[in-house]
Amino acid sequence: MAVSEESFKSISPAEFFYKNKEIAGFSNPARALYQTVRELVENSLDATENHGILPIIKVSIRELEVVSEGAYYEVVVEDNGVGIPPRYVPQAFAQLLFSSKYILRQSRGMFGLGAKMAVLYAQITTGHPAEVVVAPIKSKHVCSFKLKIDIRENKPVILGFTTTSNISGKHGTVVRLVTLGDWTRSRQRVYEYLRRTAVIAPYAEIAFRDPEGNYLLFERSIDKLPPPAREALPHPHGIDIETMKSVLKSIAEKHVVEGLVESFQGIGRTTAIRILEEANIDLEKKAGELTDLEIETLVRVMKSYRDIKPPRANHLSYLGEEIIVAGLKKIFEPEFTTAITRRPSVYEGQAFIVEVGVAYGGKVPVTEKPLILRYANKIPLLYDEGIDVVYKVLDEKRGIDFKVYEIEFPAPLVILTHICSTKIPYRGVGKEAVADVPEIESEIESALREVLRKLRLYIQHKRRELEEIEKAVAIAKYIPEISESLYRVYKVDIRDTSTKLLELLNSRLKSFKISSLSSVVM
Amino acid sequence: MSATSYSSKVDVKARERALKVLHEKFYVVLKDILEGRPPKLVIKKRTLSNTIYEPERKLLLLGESVFERSLLDLREAKKFMQTLLMASIIYEALSNSEYPTIRDLYYRGKHTIRYRKLPSKNVGEENTWDEQSESDSVLRDIEVFTNVLREEMLILSKEKGKVVGDLKIRSGDDIIDLSKMGHGAYSIEPTPDLIDFIEVNAEFVLVVEKDAVFQQLHRAGFWRSYRAVLITSAGQPDRATRRFVRRLSEELKLPVYVISDSDPYGFYIYSVFKTGSITLSYESERLATPSARFLGVMMTDIFGSNKLNKKPYLTEEERRNFIIRAKERDIKRARELKEYPWFKSERWRIELDEFLERRVKLEIEALAGKGLKFLADKYIPDKIGIGDWIE
Repeated sequence: MAVSEESFKSISPAEFFYKNKEIAGFSNPARALYQTVRELVENSLDATENHGILPIIKVSIRELEVVSEGAYYEVVVEDNGVGIPPRYVPQAFAQLLFSSKYILRQSRGMFGLGAKMAVLYAQITTGHPAEVVVAPIKSKHVCSFKLKIDIRENKPVILGFTTTSNISGKHGTVVRLVTLGDWTRSRQRVYEYLRRTAVIAPYAEIAFRDPEGNYLLFERSIDKLPPPAREALPHPHGIDIETMKSVLKSIAEKHVVEGLVESFQGIGRTTAIRILEEANIDLEKKAGELTDLEIETLVRVMKSYRDIKPPRANHLSYLGEEIIVAGLKKIFEPEFTTAITRRPSVYEGQAFIVEVGVAYGGKVPVTEKPLILRYANKIPLLYDEGIDVVYKVLDEKRGIDFKVYEIEFPAPLVILTHICSTKIPYRGVGKEAVADVPEIESEIESALREVLRKLRLYIQHKRRELEEIEKAVAIAKYIPEISESLYRVYKVDIRDTSTKLLELLNSRLKSFKISSLSSVVM
Repeated sequence: MSATSYSSKVDVKARERALKVLHEKFYVVLKDILEGRPPKLVIKKRTLSNTIYEPERKLLLLGESVFERSLLDLREAKKFMQTLLMASIIYEALSNSEYPTIRDLYYRGKHTIRYRKLPSKNVGEENTWDEQSESDSVLRDIEVFTNVLREEMLILSKEKGKVVGDLKIRSGDDIIDLSKMGHGAYSIEPTPDLIDFIEVNAEFVLVVEKDAVFQQLHRAGFWRSYRAVLITSAGQPDRATRRFVRRLSEELKLPVYVISDSDPYGFYIYSVFKTGSITLSYESERLATPSARFLGVMMTDIFGSNKLNKKPYLTEEERRNFIIRAKERDIKRARELKEYPWFKSERWRIELDEFLERRVKLEIEALAGKGLKFLADKYIPDKIGIGDWIE
């Protein structure tokens, strides 16, 4: 995290984020509108698929009023998710850094911050409160909130609350914001974001109405959800001092041995004792009693402690080959698609899984370079692609040579890469590019080579097929000539001879048959 | 009687035979198709490696090595179609009592096949054949496959051979006196087998490669003075000229002498008369004249030879004026000739080595330049007189 705790001492987190809104992607009206849509859609996806619900998400942007910097837009995002319990709604939408638990779970949202930043930005720029309607699963009530953030105190302010009975039995969340934006300049980004989201979430139905009245529907093309992301304890190798401090704070009253066992993966009593002994920490101490020096030593010992199982990956929510293939097929209508989900791997104490898919031919546009769709934890990464680890793997000079895979550009090729991890090593604050961690780079390369090998097999097979078709035509076109020649000498029926010759030719073809001579010879 | 309905008895017989053979030989294709086998033709290869020199008979003959031309073989499919097309056109021409030339056959068979390329469905166009060399090539294949020569199928080719001399022949229904051709000459007809020799008053045959030299010797009255049948092939000899020379040798027992340029190409022309050509080796048995003698111009005629104890016909100064520097391709050709079995005699080795050493050549015209009298009254009669030829 780019922000250190010391920053919070003098100003509230809400105030801090407002002053540094570019960190969260709200630097200007165009970027803010795109970011608002994105944060709300990602919340909706997390609220559905993580709970086994096939997502239905409706997004609408409506222009309300033109102002000098752009225009006020009403952004509404509705989902059929689990619905946040009403009592948590104010904090969830109007209090920054609302979360006391330090557990790891792969989810889309950034630090649980995104939606709140959208609310904050809307409030600052237009003065309108956020309207949130929730109906949790099996709830008898539908609750509507009007919320603002008290920026100085970082506390939710409830401006209105109504409840009606949930007659229809629906569940989900609707968020309505009025925010400053610039549709003209964010149009392309918003569409690209939704399209890329539709690629990676073919199990979702996403409907979008833009301010110009255009309506776009991404239909669901597969009824299968990725495995839900589950919560996992941090792994000792991935710990840092700040996180350790927070962990210790949350278990301050417990004995340190017990605390470590409870709070980390792969640490049993024996291991905890060995680690503490190695760090020269009194086993009788409570977690809250460790000095800064002891914490530092403890972190150092834990990070380098060898006798621990590697991080578990069973909590990671990868997409799986089937979903990737379905997504690529749905959006690109290629003639060939394949995908691979690699086995879990580890970098710096963090488990990660790399998935790569390719789509080739068909309606895939022919381009000078492969079209790259990058995703991290199911979020499309749209910008800073030049510095992403994927580009290192694809580097023209040192990276993968496509000719080896019998692909010559320009070619119709889409490459999808997905990295899922409890912690994505983003490069910089933009969260649009993944750093070139050697372990991740190597996994991406292996995955890519594997799918490209499959693609090569397809290309070779197709080429052989084409060669056979060409060969068949090359011979078939002479058949009428031969039949006529035989007629001149033997007076045998031309049609009859041609039919026999075509049958002979077809019997020698493996992948293709000529249905009739008239389809070839004119 | 119309022009087309007239045909001599000899022709009718030839037609019947050719029709029968074509019908029988190509039946394998129809049979294959009817019985569900991929149709193919098995033909003797017309390649250098399948050209065999028979030293006893002194002939270049086609070997026994064969290749298969199958419709379903992509590389041979077009040739297969072309072969059948050509055969059927010849068959039709024979049935209709026609005398097509090879050019006619080319035009009769040439048309465009329009087809759809798959999977694009774009329209493609292809000619049955583009160049006459393609139709000529399958015609040769048919001659080899059926063992019937084009003359026997009454196909005419453009002939450039000419003859004069004291002899009478029957061609068609006319009797022609070859001593009464004025300054012109009789063009050897494309079907020399249909010629009858009526009266002959000659002691030898002189074949001159160059038409111009032939005309000079003709006007100088050479054939009358020396009782010769004078023939020119005007360059590379065509089939009719070769067949005509062969018949003069075989049936009239006349010795045949050949004079050509003194360079590897001239030497090879002589060998075509004598042993046959590589591309047409299948016809050698009928066309070659194994007893033909190479009279000149020899390298040793120009430079003399110690080994042969032979004096040159040219003086030092004449040599300087007449000889031409050999080109790289002449040298290359000479090296190739040295490798041909029918050039592997001691006498030819001397000539070729002399050429390779001197790297110069001489045209027959140059000897005429020394004086037509020299050529007609000294060089040729002297050499025949003393037997200075190569067998």
